[in-house]
Amino acid sequence: MDYIILSVTLLAIGIYGLVTKHDLIKVLISIELITIAASMNFVVFASLMNDSLGQTFMILALSVDSCMTAVALALAVVVYRKLKILDVTELSELKE
Amino acid sequence: MLLETVLVVGLVASAFFAIYLEETVYAVLSLATMLIVLSTFYFSLNAPFAAIFQLAIGTGTVAIFFLAGETLTTKSGTTTSLKKKLLGLVASILLSIPCILGTEQTKTFARSTSFSLSTALWELRAIDAIAQGLVILTIALGIVFLLKEERRRS
Repeated sequence: MDYIILSVTLLAIGIYGLVTKHDLIKVLISIELITIAASMNFVVFASLMNDSLGQTFMILALSVDSCMTAVALALAVVVYRKLKILDVTELSELKE
Repeated sequence: MLLETVLVVGLVASAFFAIYLEETVYAVLSLATMLIVLSTFYFSLNAPFAAIFQLAIGTGTVAIFFLAGETLTTKSGTTTSLKKKLLGLVASILLSIPCILGTEQTKTFARSTSFSLSTALWELRAIDAIAQGLVILTIALGIVFLLKEERRRS
């Protein structure tokens, strides 16, 4: 049951990256870490309960996660081709 | 116990370096290491399907990140110094200590159900799995249209 600490640690590292990094790719890596921390709980609890349903949920969650990453990177490519910017703060300043 | 400790330290350290390193390519390599260690961790938890799926999806994710990191970033000359790398290593080992102490107390639940993965996936979550396929197809088409539209404009 204490694998939750490992999951929370990964979540904390992901949130740290999300807050401190401005590079769009680093931000996406941070989001990837956060989703991995969340989906890891499915496998850990499924393993502890000797149940395969958790693995199923993890497979479904991971598919959506990889799709989300692909969409975000496609948007990053489009933004970079148009504006030559990958800095998140510079991108948010464009709104003003 | 030794394997668990090595896996936990490796997992936390590689996750930390994926965020901490300045060079995008090295950060992506660290993410790849983390995904491989995570897959081994799932194997050690008797979840082979999750491990294989994680490895397969992780390979694709790392490939995309690697291509994006190579093509989108410029070589600005900012590198992480050896001192900062050592500091990061110490910080990641310190971060993994609560996880190591926590995994020592892990116990299996007494309650146990005996679903196989195919039963769980195709009998309990069949609609989810089919809907997931539709979602993935829609997203793939969306990405194709997004990039095609942008290319047409340029």
